[in-house]
Amino acid sequence: MTAGGRPWAAWLNRLGPLFALILVLLLFAVLVRVVLGENRFATPGNIETILRQTIIVGMAALGMTLIIVSGGIDLSAGSVVALAGVVLAALMKFAGWGPLSAALAGVAAGAACGLVNGLLVTQLRVVPFIITLGTLLVFRGTALGIADNRTITPGASWLDHLTTHPTGDRAWMLIPPGVWILLFFSLLVAGFMKLTVTGRHTFAVGANEKAARLSGVPIAWVRVIVYTLGGVFAGLAGVLQYTRLSQGDPTGATGMELQVIAAVVIGGGSLSGGEGSVLGTLVGALIMSSIANGCSILGIESWVQMIVTGVVIIVAVAVDRLRHRRTE
Amino acid sequence: MRTLLLCAAALGLAACDAGTDGDAGAAPDDRTTIAVIPKGTSHEFWKSVHAGAMKAAADLGVGIIWKGPVQENDRVGQVKEVENFISRGVDGICLAPLDADALRKPAEEAVARSIPVVVFDSALNSEKHVSFVATDNRKGGALAGEHLASLLGGKGKVILLRYMQGSASTMNREDGFMDAIGKHPGIQVVSSDQYAGATAPEALAVSENLLTAFKSADGGLSVDGIFCPNESSAVGMLGALRGAGLAGKVKFVGFDISDKLQDALTVGHLHGTVLQDPVGMGYQAVKAMADHLAGKPVEKRIDTGATLVTPENMKDKAVERLLNPEKVE
Repeated sequence: MTAGGRPWAAWLNRLGPLFALILVLLLFAVLVRVVLGENRFATPGNIETILRQTIIVGMAALGMTLIIVSGGIDLSAGSVVALAGVVLAALMKFAGWGPLSAALAGVAAGAACGLVNGLLVTQLRVVPFIITLGTLLVFRGTALGIADNRTITPGASWLDHLTTHPTGDRAWMLIPPGVWILLFFSLLVAGFMKLTVTGRHTFAVGANEKAARLSGVPIAWVRVIVYTLGGVFAGLAGVLQYTRLSQGDPTGATGMELQVIAAVVIGGGSLSGGEGSVLGTLVGALIMSSIANGCSILGIESWVQMIVTGVVIIVAVAVDRLRHRRTE
Repeated sequence: MRTLLLCAAALGLAACDAGTDGDAGAAPDDRTTIAVIPKGTSHEFWKSVHAGAMKAAADLGVGIIWKGPVQENDRVGQVKEVENFISRGVDGICLAPLDADALRKPAEEAVARSIPVVVFDSALNSEKHVSFVATDNRKGGALAGEHLASLLGGKGKVILLRYMQGSASTMNREDGFMDAIGKHPGIQVVSSDQYAGATAPEALAVSENLLTAFKSADGGLSVDGIFCPNESSAVGMLGALRGAGLAGKVKFVGFDISDKLQDALTVGHLHGTVLQDPVGMGYQAVKAMADHLAGKPVEKRIDTGATLVTPENMKDKAVERLLNPEKVE
């Protein structure tokens, strides 16, 4: 949208994060080959591991993309992920619900959290940073309360297989079903952003709220919708988190909102609103999980991983700004 | 684009550097490589486990990679470590699971990809691992119970302050303690339904309330002995006893050790505590895996031992080694 008369420049902007991902993958493929003496990074098994370690953050980041494009932010996402997982686990264990209905209830709990965020932001007219900083604690406290400060382990169900390698009669799926689920919802959100009126309004609200209001965009309505969707995707991420551990953990996903926001930002989303894409966000999430996986395989310690990831976030955004200045 | 390339190159160099000088660096390929995954890397306990694992590696000529989550509640982080070791390919994995259920899936996946798993420190709800290497906590609790009974001369009233619901290791210690006390008909357990909670400050509050309930009119205590099944509950109870001026006047036995508890042993405020052997645990875990990989039979359950420390035997060489275990800094 920023390049005006030069469509190729716009495409280059869009593909910037993708180049960065390819660079990261190549870099680690070479490093692992050199350090370990054989290829243990660019193997089908390890690519699947990277994908599997991306889906939770990726799912929550779909909702965060919408929120950030609309000029908002959601710091409560990690708490919502934990709350959804706890609701799911509690309903299965204590109320005897089936896996599917419990999972849907988990997503519904996420949606309710998002709705609360949206209503508070629009009705109280307090900036979303503060509102969601508050609900971060409210939702985390609710999760801990429901779970009585403990993890809830309901026992085995088909949900456990959503994030494992498909074997037997599910072997045709090739990769864990959770990855397909993420891809499905990604297409859905991309379609929503491009093809629906509300989707286009989301960009308008984020890019220039005043102009949007003057041209009759129902701003409060768009905000409430966007935050509710953010809650839905955090809820879905919570379901996936549950399937990873086979338990609802009220202390889980602490600080995950920062990874989620980082994924959107690395992927070209702008915290001042009006910019961001589903593809960019997924690539951003993949960049982070590839770095973590690659460092782990190389035997690099956790503190180095943190520093490297932090540097990547800053470099990615700085390069993005630089390109923008050139194309504008 | 050029900027991006330069940055990436710089990043690569930084990564290379870090890869070679960390002690977590990759082991050479021609050797057997065993991944050792602790519950966390920041606690003192794990530094001692690390020392034992390294000793075993040196003795047996295998390579180890020591890597775990930084925080002891990061279950997803630990699952990822296991997965990354599976895709990287190691000869075996020694795992101290943060959760008996949450780590089952990745551990069983490792076994399915023919990477054997030895579980250490805490149990895993699975049957697929080679061996479980840990302290026999029930035995340790019984040791504490016997000691308290002999301190009391076989008669009196005692309190068991439990740790936390759902914590398997401390529940076993509590059961072992109750078994041992049950063999002494002269001893009556007057309280065994209170829980200290996860942290020492919580334990302090619970202990204060508990002691208030058993205070006699003259300011003394109508109880003769107390047992706490882990470090934080013992530290909390110690604080409550000291605050009420009762420290040393009631026989007090704990489990595990810290600087504070060691000091309490010296001044006679604590009359005994049971020690685990973290160095031995790390050693035995790596040895069990190395033996298994070499085709030797390995016991399904390996007890790494529990030792009673009293003010009297604190200076013994064998006990001192447990009080101040080796650590990898």
